[in-house]
Amino acid sequence: MFAMRDSWRTMSTATAPDSAPPRFVRADGPDKVTGTGRYTADLTLTGMLAAKFRYAGIAHARIARLDTTAARAIPGVFAVLTQADVPDVRYGGMVFDRTLFANEVVRFEGEVVAAVAAIDAATAQRAVDAIVVEYEPLPVVNDPEAALAPDTPLVHPQWQSYGASRQLVRDGNDASYASIAKGDVDAGLAAADVVVTSRYHADGSHAAPIEPRSVVAQWEGDKVTIWSSTQVPYDARAGVCDTLELPSNRVRIIVPHLGGGFGGKCGFHFEAHVAALARAARRPVRLQFTRREEFLAPDRRRESIAFEFETGVQRDGTITARRARLVIDNGAYTADAGFFSQLAAMHALGPYRIPNALAEAHLVYTNHQPSGSVRAPTAPQCCWALESHTDEVARAVGIDPLEFRRRNAVDSGVEGPSGQTYGEIGLQQCLDAAAELAGYGQPLPDDEAIGVAIGWWPSFASPSGAYVRLDADGSGQIVTGAQECGTGAVMTLRQLAADELGMQADDFQLVYQDTAAAPYDMGATGSQTLFNNGRAVVAAAGQVAEQLKRLAAERLEADPADIVLAGGVAHVAGTPDKRVDIAKLAAIAGGGELLIGHGSGAPPDAPELHGSTCVGDVSMAAWVAPQFSCHAARVKVDRDTGVARVLHVSAAHDSGTIINPIAAEGQVQGAVVMGIGQALSEGTRYDEQAHQLNPGLLEYKLQTAADAPPIAIHFVQIATPDAGPRGAKGLAEAPNVATAAAIANAIANVIGTPVRQLPMTAERVWEASLGGAAAAPTAPRTAGASA
Amino acid sequence: MSFTIALTVEEALTALARGARPIAGGSDLVVGARHGKAPLPDHLVAIDRIDSLRTVTVDDGGLAIGAGVSHDTIERHPQIAANWSALADGSALVGSPATRHVGTIGGNICNASPAMDTGAALVVLAATVELASVGGTRLVPIGELWTGPGRTAVRADELCTAVHLPSPPAASGSAYLRLEYRRAMEIAVVGAGAAVTLAPGGTVAAVRVALSAVAPTIVEVDGLPTGDLAAVGEAAAALASEQARPISDVRASDRYRRHAVGVIARRAVLAAARRAGGESIAVPVNRALGIGAAS
Repeated sequence: MFAMRDSWRTMSTATAPDSAPPRFVRADGPDKVTGTGRYTADLTLTGMLAAKFRYAGIAHARIARLDTTAARAIPGVFAVLTQADVPDVRYGGMVFDRTLFANEVVRFEGEVVAAVAAIDAATAQRAVDAIVVEYEPLPVVNDPEAALAPDTPLVHPQWQSYGASRQLVRDGNDASYASIAKGDVDAGLAAADVVVTSRYHADGSHAAPIEPRSVVAQWEGDKVTIWSSTQVPYDARAGVCDTLELPSNRVRIIVPHLGGGFGGKCGFHFEAHVAALARAARRPVRLQFTRREEFLAPDRRRESIAFEFETGVQRDGTITARRARLVIDNGAYTADAGFFSQLAAMHALGPYRIPNALAEAHLVYTNHQPSGSVRAPTAPQCCWALESHTDEVARAVGIDPLEFRRRNAVDSGVEGPSGQTYGEIGLQQCLDAAAELAGYGQPLPDDEAIGVAIGWWPSFASPSGAYVRLDADGSGQIVTGAQECGTGAVMTLRQLAADELGMQADDFQLVYQDTAAAPYDMGATGSQTLFNNGRAVVAAAGQVAEQLKRLAAERLEADPADIVLAGGVAHVAGTPDKRVDIAKLAAIAGGGELLIGHGSGAPPDAPELHGSTCVGDVSMAAWVAPQFSCHAARVKVDRDTGVARVLHVSAAHDSGTIINPIAAEGQVQGAVVMGIGQALSEGTRYDEQAHQLNPGLLEYKLQTAADAPPIAIHFVQIATPDAGPRGAKGLAEAPNVATAAAIANAIANVIGTPVRQLPMTAERVWEASLGGAAAAPTAPRTAGASA
Repeated sequence: MSFTIALTVEEALTALARGARPIAGGSDLVVGARHGKAPLPDHLVAIDRIDSLRTVTVDDGGLAIGAGVSHDTIERHPQIAANWSALADGSALVGSPATRHVGTIGGNICNASPAMDTGAALVVLAATVELASVGGTRLVPIGELWTGPGRTAVRADELCTAVHLPSPPAASGSAYLRLEYRRAMEIAVVGAGAAVTLAPGGTVAAVRVALSAVAPTIVEVDGLPTGDLAAVGEAAAALASEQARPISDVRASDRYRRHAVGVIARRAVLAAARRAGGESIAVPVNRALGIGAAS
C-alpha cells in the first residue's frame, strides 16, 4: 500500500549518505502491539480512590453560589476541592490568566469548578452531581473577530493585572498581537499588475489521541509521585510546583506508556488537581477521562483562524507584496498559545520570496475551550489558507501552480519574508520530488485533480540532558529526560548511542519518562526530541567512548586518539588485529572507574534577521534549522454530493539527515492521514452559547484506516549545520503542515473554485461548487485584478 | 438487577413477560447506556445463545433471517447478496467489522434509528417482521413497525424473532446506498434503497424506493413512475428530495440532505436496475461504485 521503500531507494540528492541507515524496529513496539504494554490507566494502587470533576457546563457566568456540603456528606466521599482549598496562584504559559479551579467566574464549558475523590467512580459522580452551583450568566464571547470590537465584553476584565511575558503585546480581548513587516507593502501592491484578495476560515479541531488521559497521584510524606499521560513530564512537574507551591524535588512525574498525544497532552493539565485530591484524601487517587472529557476539558485544541490575504503579483508571476491579517481563537485562557500570533504570521507569509510583506495576527480571548499546541500549531490552517490563496494568485496570472511556486519559493541563500537568509535548503527539490511522485501533469478523469502545496516548520532548540552508562557485563543503559509519545524519537536514541560506542542499538535499554531519574528535557513537543536529546545522548555516549578508548589504549599500548570503537570491539586504527572486546573493557571498568557519561551540549543559536520589524516578537520569526516540504494530493470529487476522496498523497520533505527511516516514514504517513482528517472531516462546531456540538468520536470524524490512501514519501537529505545530531532537523510536525492545503487545491481544481472554510466537508464542497455563500462564513471577496 | 441467559425462544419470551428487556449484541443498548442515552434496563434477557434465532433459511417462499443473525453473516451470505442485494449492501456498511460481528438484524430493526442501514432495504424488499410473545406470534409489515425515532410497534412482551422477505420476481435487482463522510464507523448522512423489476426491453416494470436519515423513520417514496429507466431515476431523485423531511444537525443541513437524498435515490435506482439486468455489482455498492465516498 505505501510506496515508502521504493521512494527510499529513489533518494537522489547529492548530499545523501553513502549508504542508507539501518532500519530497526522500535523497542516499545512489541509491548504496544501485543497489549502487554502498561499505560497510566492500568495502574492500581492499594486504597486508590476515583476522581471526578464538576465542570462549568456554561460558557460564561459568575458563580453566585458554590456549595459542596451535600457532596461531602455522601458516604465514600473522601475529598471535595474547590479553588478555596488550593493556593491562590494564577498560572499559564505566557500569560498567567488561569487558576486550578474556576475562581468566581467560569469562562468555558469545560472549566473545572470542583473535584471529588471517592471510593469508586460512581460515588464520585454522585458527589459531583450533588455539588450546588448557581450561575449568573454573562454575555458569551463566541466570535473571535467580533471579540476585537471595542464594545465587546471582555473575557478577562482584569487582564492588565495578570502577570505575562514582557514580549507579548496585549489589549483587552487581544491576548497576543504580533506583526512581521518587511519593505513597503503599499508600494509593493501598487507596483503589482494584479492584486488578489482572499478570505478564508479554518474551524478549530482536536488532537484526539487514542488514549483518554489518566492521572494517578500518591503522597509519601511531603513528596508526591504522579503518574500521568503527559507529553511533557517536566512541564507538568513545573505546573504542579507552581500551583501547589512545592519545590521540584518533592514532585516526581512518571509517564508509563503514552497512548498518543499529538500535542493535546502537552502542557500542565490535571496533575495538580489529582495531587491536591490525594493529599486531602490521604489516599492515592486516579483521574480517568472519558472520551467526552478528552474533547471538552483540556486546554489544548487546535485553534480556529480567520484569514484575509492580499497579494500583489507581476504578470510574469513575481510576487511583489503580501499583506495578511489573522484572527486566532485563543479560547478562554492562553495556555501555551501566546506565541501563536507570531508563528501564524510567519505561516501566513509562507516560504516565499516576498520583498514587501506585512502579516498581523491577533490571538483573541473567547468563551471557547482554550487553544494550545496541537501538532504544528497554526501551521496546517495557515498553510491551507495561504496555499489556497496562492493557487488563486497563480490562476489570476495564468501560471501553473507548481511553476508559480518554483519561481517564488525560497531556496538556498535566499532571504525569506522575515529577513532570514537560508543556508542550504531543499524546498525546490521537494517541489520536484512531490510532483514527480504524484505524476503531476498526467491526464486524469474530469472528476479528479492534483493539488500541490508547500509548507515549512522550524526546529526548536532547547536544553536537554541524558546519562549513558555501560555496566560490567557490557550492556548499556540510557537514562534520558526525553518523552516518547509514539513518534519513535526516543527509540532512535539507542541508535545514536550505539553508533557512538561501536555497539548495536539492541545493546541499550532506556530509562525514560521519570523526572526523578533523568535530567531535564522539554518533552514530546516541538519535534524536538531527537534534535535536542539526541545531542545530549551523543555527548553522554561520547564521554563513555573516551573512557573506553583510554582503557583500550592501556591494554593495546596505543594512543587513545588512535583507538577505534566498532562492531563491539576497540581496536587500533589501521591495525584491526590489535583489539579488545568492549564487553571486556566494561568488565575491567566494573572493578574500577565505572563507565558513566553525562551529556547536554549547547543548543544551536537562532539565526539573525535583517530588514524586518517584528512587533510582539517571541522569537518565532528566526528559525533554527527550518524544515521544508511539498505535498501533492490527487483527489476525486463527487460533484453531485461534494464528497471528496483522497486517492494518493506524495510527500517530499527536507528534514535534514534522516537517522531512523522507519520512524521517519511513520511520522509522514501518520501526519498525512491526520491532515486528510483536518482537510475533510475534522472540525469543532459550536452552538450560539459556545457549547461544542460534536465532542465525541461519532460526530467528530477522524479518518479511519479504510480511508487512508497510498502515500509516497521522499526525503531530501541535507546534512544541515547548526541542527540536531548528524544534521538532522525535526520531523514529527512538518508533515502535518501541507496535506490539507494540497487537498484543497485539488478540490478547487475539480470544482473550479476554492472552498473557503476548513474542514472542507462534503456539504461545503457542494455549496462552493454551486457558488453559494454558505461556503464561507462571511461573503468572500472574489479574486480579481486591480490596476 | 437480573440477567437471564435464554437458550430457547420460549425461555426468552417468559423472561420478557416478566418485564425483562432483550439483549443480543448490545451494540445499541450498551453503547447507549454508556453515553447516557438511556440507562441499562434492570432486567435483561440475553438472546444471543438461542440457536433458532441465528439461522438463515432460503426456500420457495423466500428468505427468513433469524433476528439474531449478525450483519456480518448477512453481508457474506451468497444468496442474500445475489437476490436480496440491498440488504447485503446495508449490512456491509454497518459500523466496523467488530460491530458487524456482534450487531444483529433484529436489534437493528428494533432500535429504529432513522439512519439505520438495513431499514430502507427491508422496506423495498417488502419485509415482514415476526413478533412473538407468550401469547402467540404475529407478522407485521416492516413499514408499519417504526412509529418514530427509537420507537416501534413492538410490545414490551414481544420479541422480534425473524424477518421474512419474499423472493423477488424475475428480472429484479435491489441496492442500498448511503452518503458517508468516511468508510468505516460511519452513520448515513442520507441513504436510499431501491428495488427494480425490469420489463422485457429494459424499461422499468416496478420500482420501490425508501429513504434513510431524512425523516423520523425510514420512509418509502410515493408516486414513482414506471417506464424509461432514466426518467424513473430522475423522478426518484425529484420525489425523494420533495418527500424528505430532513433535519439540520451536526452531520448536515436539511438543505443539503434534501438535495443529497435525491442524488442517492437516483443512484440506488440505477444500481438496482443494473443488477436487475443481470450485472454483478459487488456488495456493498458504496464500495463497488464509489458512491458517497467515491473510491
